[in-house]
Order: sequence, then structure tokens, then C-alpha cells
Amino acid sequence: MNWKNVLLLVGVEIKSYRMVRGSKFRRFRESRLVTYGLFVGACLIGALIGWAFGSFYHGVSASDLKNLLLQGATYLFISLPTLSLLYGIVFTQMNQIQRIGVKKSIEPLYWFPISWKERTLASILANVLGVPLVISIFIGSSIFVASIFFGLIPLAVLTIFALLASVILASVTTEILKVLQVRAYGAVTRVAGRRAVWVRLLGSILFFIIFYGFYFSFYYSVTPIALIESVAGGQRMLWFLPYVWPGMALSTFVSKLWVEMAAFSLASLIFIYALFVAATNLNTRFGLYEAPSIRISYGVYVPRAGVLGRLGFSALEEAIMRKDFRAFTRRNELMYIFIFPIISIIVPILSAMRGSTALPSTFSSFLFVYLTLLPGTLMTIVLGTIIVGSEGESIWYLYSSPISAKSLVKAKYSFIILFGLFVTSICSLITSLLTTPSIQVAFIGFFEAVFLIFSLAMVSLTCGIKGADFRELLPRPSMIRPKWGFINMAVCFATGLAIIAPMIPYAMKLIFQAGESWLTMPMSLSEYYPYIALLTSGVIAAVITYIFRKTALNSAEQLLAKAEG
Amino acid sequence: MVLTHSPAVQLTDVYKRYSDVTAVDYLDLDVKRGEIFGLLGPNGSGKSTTLKMILGLVKPDSGYVNVLGINVEEDPVAVKRKVGYVPESPHVYEFLTGLEFLDFAGDVYGMKPDEKKKRIEEFLRALELEGREGDTISSYSEGMKQKVVIISAIMHRPELLLLDEPLSGLDPKSARIVKDLLRQLASQGVTAVMSTHILEIAQAMCDRIAIMYEGRLLALGTMEELRQRARMPDSGLEDIFLKLTGTGDIKPIVEALMK
Repeated sequence: MNWKNVLLLVGVEIKSYRMVRGSKFRRFRESRLVTYGLFVGACLIGALIGWAFGSFYHGVSASDLKNLLLQGATYLFISLPTLSLLYGIVFTQMNQIQRIGVKKSIEPLYWFPISWKERTLASILANVLGVPLVISIFIGSSIFVASIFFGLIPLAVLTIFALLASVILASVTTEILKVLQVRAYGAVTRVAGRRAVWVRLLGSILFFIIFYGFYFSFYYSVTPIALIESVAGGQRMLWFLPYVWPGMALSTFVSKLWVEMAAFSLASLIFIYALFVAATNLNTRFGLYEAPSIRISYGVYVPRAGVLGRLGFSALEEAIMRKDFRAFTRRNELMYIFIFPIISIIVPILSAMRGSTALPSTFSSFLFVYLTLLPGTLMTIVLGTIIVGSEGESIWYLYSSPISAKSLVKAKYSFIILFGLFVTSICSLITSLLTTPSIQVAFIGFFEAVFLIFSLAMVSLTCGIKGADFRELLPRPSMIRPKWGFINMAVCFATGLAIIAPMIPYAMKLIFQAGESWLTMPMSLSEYYPYIALLTSGVIAAVITYIFRKTALNSAEQLLAKAEG
Repeated sequence: MVLTHSPAVQLTDVYKRYSDVTAVDYLDLDVKRGEIFGLLGPNGSGKSTTLKMILGLVKPDSGYVNVLGINVEEDPVAVKRKVGYVPESPHVYEFLTGLEFLDFAGDVYGMKPDEKKKRIEEFLRALELEGREGDTISSYSEGMKQKVVIISAIMHRPELLLLDEPLSGLDPKSARIVKDLLRQLASQGVTAVMSTHILEIAQAMCDRIAIMYEGRLLALGTMEELRQRARMPDSGLEDIFLKLTGTGDIKPIVEALMK
């Protein structure tokens, strides 16, 4: 093993992480002084927090509380390696997910005289020498200083070693998962054939549903103390799993089982080495593996006559919409658009299910308004903001093609509308099942959402054209300049409020009716009010759409006429 | 070669500046209909900017650009409808398959479905992309991407082709096919304006050649006219180009590098 090569590669890997994370503040992040400052800062802050806890413990006079705190500290120390392992795997996995789309940053320089062993070790170390190390230093200094007051110095020292072992364990595991992921992705692509696109899209959506479902249910039900207790207890039950061996070494140390402690410590080191060997072998075998390309069409090519043609779209407009649909279902960085409405639905449903079986009527009204209006509208705004910028550097093709501003705006706007309406329809259906609103309320809610979608799509498309950012930056293109992103948010908020304003008194009436008996509506509304308000909303929405359509057309004309920017 | 009296491309006193750099310096240029016109010049001499101005992608600071009888500034969409363009480093929609991209291009240029199908199949076969047309473009090599872009520029039978380094990355057989195709198209009246660094190609293919340097037109004419202008009667285009652009004396540079 050539250690000079390893150190050089670690530097390259760390630099590539920075590249992937973006270019902002790179000057500071590249400075060694800042890096060391971070380590020293983490150490000082950790020590300060440890000192604060220790002093608190020292100041406690009640022996019951003191014993409880001591026991809590011991549990914490024992569970820290496993916790940091979980954290380390999640963190390094997130890192890998970020880097997976950036081929040039992860492609190994295979033509240099560097062995796979050196490459693998460098990658593992580079994963560790960043945020995981800063956090380990922070925790390590904190528990060490606290342990002086608690009288747990030997346990704290061992915990620090176990912490480091766990972070390395997480990094080696990630290295293995990285290779396996690429290999598995290739195998799935090969097996799935043309369905690979849908498998990937649905797989990503499913992953996020599970992730957020797990996260929110965890967030709503588990306290940090319960977590520490469950980890400390759980690792004893799962002692046969090598990943909990560093924690088991601490646990046996506390129980003064010296032989077992030595065995678990040694076994942890052997396990890390075994994983390293496995990672090296996997890298040697699959390190340069190229996932097969997704083959989408086979056989004879038959130009399709689309449905949209019958709805008044030209072949050109239809082609742009079809291309955009493919972009949003195939490009990794655009798939998050589908996750948006899903999260918007999951969060309130989980909080609705929390604790009680029946929904309170005020909450039910809120949920109806929220789920009918928000997901579709939010999706519309986000789509409108990025749909032009998402063209990226391929925008030259639109620039050089005979596309008029009118066709471009029509195609992009219609695409946003179709998606927004689809999501709103689904959400309305779910909401109706969950909250069983009256037909009048469901009707009004749905149309109010439709007005919002039609007008805010044009508002955000206008901002999206004006502020389009076609640079394909790492880790993902921004698609909209930040200034225009903010302007879009502000304008959408103001125009959205203007559209729903006539409906606010009616919404208040519903909430007051459903609320506690002491709440009363300060004024009475005629039975025709909701329909008049809906009509007014529609007129406001139409005026806003008309005004912004003109601006969008002007902006699109400028965009197509001046392709220099 | 089909030539008519009105030029396919006419640049009159065209000037373009990017901040403190002059890209094109009061350029006057006429390209006849049906000719293959070569634009030569070192890096940064204004070739790509000139091509972009012809297509209406870049607005000149002053001067006029007329393409096929249309003022580019007045009706850029009409010009684009009649032009096929291959940029220097084309970024294509990598999430589409080659076939989907060409289908998209056909629709954008308003081709009829039958015609589109026929042309796409012919071109895919000729440029040896058959069998890979259903794969996403992200898996294509640079040469394959270039082929897809060339097909998308030619398949709608444009009246004018603007080609910025069109043969870069192509294998010899495909390069030959593209060259022969350009000659065939020229014989049918299609005009091609081509920027290239490969002087042999320019010499072999172009009816007339313009040599640009620092945004200005240094020389313009057929090979024979360029030889006369440079007073190098038996020389190839490379020697003429190096002499006219003042970069001919490269011997000391090579010697210095070898030290």
C-alpha cells in the first residue's frame, strides 16, 4: 500500500465532495484554517456543553436524581456508537445519493498507477474526514468533559474509540453499498428493459414515501430519551450483529465483563478489516462497471398521433409537452416534483392520526382546505418556476428551432396546468373521503383550487422565464436564479391571496360553525354568498392570468430573440 | 451547383462586441445559393458568433443580416424554419432516446409523419445508429450524439445549413457520408455555411472559403484565389491559412517545447 497515493486521493475525494455540494463559500471551505477551525470549534463547543451538563450534575444534591442522571449518562455512552453508526450510514448514503448523478466526480482515474486497495481506503477516509469527524469530535469532547464530573472517564475514553470505530464502520459499509447500488441498478435496468424508467420513477417515489412516513411517524412518537433507551436495550438483544459490537464492548465494560469486552473490541476491529477487504474486492470487480443504458423502444418506429392535437395543440406544442413529460419522469433531479404533493398529504394525515381516531371538526375543515388547495397549487408554482430553466444547456435547440414565443408559452403553461389539475383532482378525492364535506363545499373548494392553478401557473411561468438559469451546475442545476425564485414566491403569495380573498368570509363561517359553541360569526352571509364569491374569485383569477400571460409572452420573445445570456 | 442571383446569406457591416472583446468587426459577406462555404480562423476569431448571428441567435450591435431574403431581426422564426443548425458542442436532451429526439425535431420543424418516419429511418441506417436508436442519449458516445444532431439538422431538408465543426467526433465512414451528403444537398440547391478547423476538409469540400481573424475577414475566395492572394501558388490551405493569420512561424515554438 502506497500511503502517499492514499493521502493524495483523499484530497481529491474531499475536493470532489465540495464540488458536488455547490460553489457557494467554496473559498472558505477550501481554506485549511477554516477546516481546522471547525475541528477546534467543535471541540470547544462540545467541551462547553459537557462542562454545563457536568456542572448541573455536580450541583444536584438529591441522590435519587443524581443516580438517575448517572444511569442516563451511562446509557447514553453505551448507545452512542450504535447511534453514530446509524447517523454515519444515513449521512454517507445521502452523500453518495448526491454524487451519483455527477459521474465525472466519482469516476475513478483508472489509468493512473493506483491500486484498488489504495482507492478504496482513500474513499473510506474521505467519507469520514468531514462532517462525521466534526460531529465525532463534538460528541467526544462533550462526553469526555462531562465524564470528569460523572466519574466515568475510562468509559468516556472507550466510548470515543468506539465512536471512531463506528464512523469508520459506517463509511466502509457505504463504500460497499455504493458499488452494490450501481451493480443492482444495472441489473434492474437490464431486467426491466423499457420499464426501467417507470421502475426508477416509482421506486424513487416509494423510497421517499417510506422515508418521510418513517421520519414523521418517528418524529411524532419517539422522544430522544426513548430512543437512547431503545438503542441501549436493543443492541444487547442483537449482540450477534457485528454492527453493534462496538456498543457491546462498552456495555460489557460497564458490566465489568473484561473477557467479553476484549472479545467484542477485537471482533469489531476484525469486522472492519473484513468489510474493507470485501469493499476492495467489490471495487476491483465492479469499480469500473457501467450500468447498461435504458432501452426504451424496440422494433419499428411509428410516429404517434397524439391526443393533444385534437385539443387544439400544434404538432410542435405537443412535441414540447411530450418532451417535458419525459423529462419529469426520467430526470432524477426533476422527480422531486412528484414527491411534493405526496409529502403535503402524508404530513397532515399523520398528524391527524396522532393520538385520536376521529378527526375534530375544526381540524377536518382545515384538512379539507389544505389538501384541496395546497398540493396542486404548490406543484403548479414549483413546475412553473423551473420548467423553462430545466431545459438546461439543451436550450440551444429551442433557440435555433422555429418556435414562436406564443407556442412556447402555450406548451409550457398547458403542461403545468395538466399536472396541477391531475394532482388537485387526486387530492380532492382523498380529502372528500377523509373529511366528507358537503357537495357545496367540495364543489367550491375544487373550483377555487382550479382558479389558483390557472392563474399561479401563469405567474410562476412568467417568473420562470424571466429568471431562467440554464447553467448545469453541480450537484444539480438551479433552473431559476435565486432572486427570481423569491420574487415568484412573493408574487404567487400576493396573487393567490387576492384570488381566495372573496372566499375567506365563507371559509370563516364554516370554521366557526364547526368550532366550539362560544365562537360566533360576527356577520351573517346570504346563502348565495359562496357562489358570488366563487365567481369573483374566478374573475380575479382570469384578470391575473391575462395580465401575466402578456408578460410571459414578452419575456419568452426576449428569451428566444436574445440567446446570448 | 444551383446558383441564383440573390445570396442565401448576406451580412452587411455587421459588428458584435462582448464587453471589451470585439467578436465580429464590421463584416461584409455574401454566400451564394447552393454553395458550400467554409469559415476558417483560429480560436476566438468570430466564426461561431457569425454563424449564430446568421441564425438570429445573437443580435449584432450594428449592421444587417439577411438570410434567404428574410431580415433575421424582423422574422427570426421564419429564418429558423428554413435553416438546419449544428452547434459546436451540442447539448441534447439526454433523457430522450435518439429516436425520440429525432421525432421531436421532426415535429418542431413541422414534418409530416410519413416523411418524418422515412427520413429518420434512412438517416439512422446511413449513419449506423440502427440498433441504438431506442437507447437514451445519455448512453451515447460524443460521436453518436453528433450524428443525432446532424440528422436533426438535415432531415427536414433545410434551404440553408449552418454547421459549426460538424465532423468533430465522427468516425471516418460517418464523416465521409456527411461530406457526400452535403455535396448532394448543394447540388440540389441547399446552401451550407461551415466552420471548421480541419483545413483538409475545407479545401476538399468548400466552393469558397473565408478566413477570419480577430473578427475581421482576412481573405475570401476559392482555393485558387486564396493561393493568388497569399502568393503561394503551389501551397495547400494549411500553409496559406498560417501565412494569412500570421501564425506561420511555429518552428521556434516547437523547439522551445522540446528543450
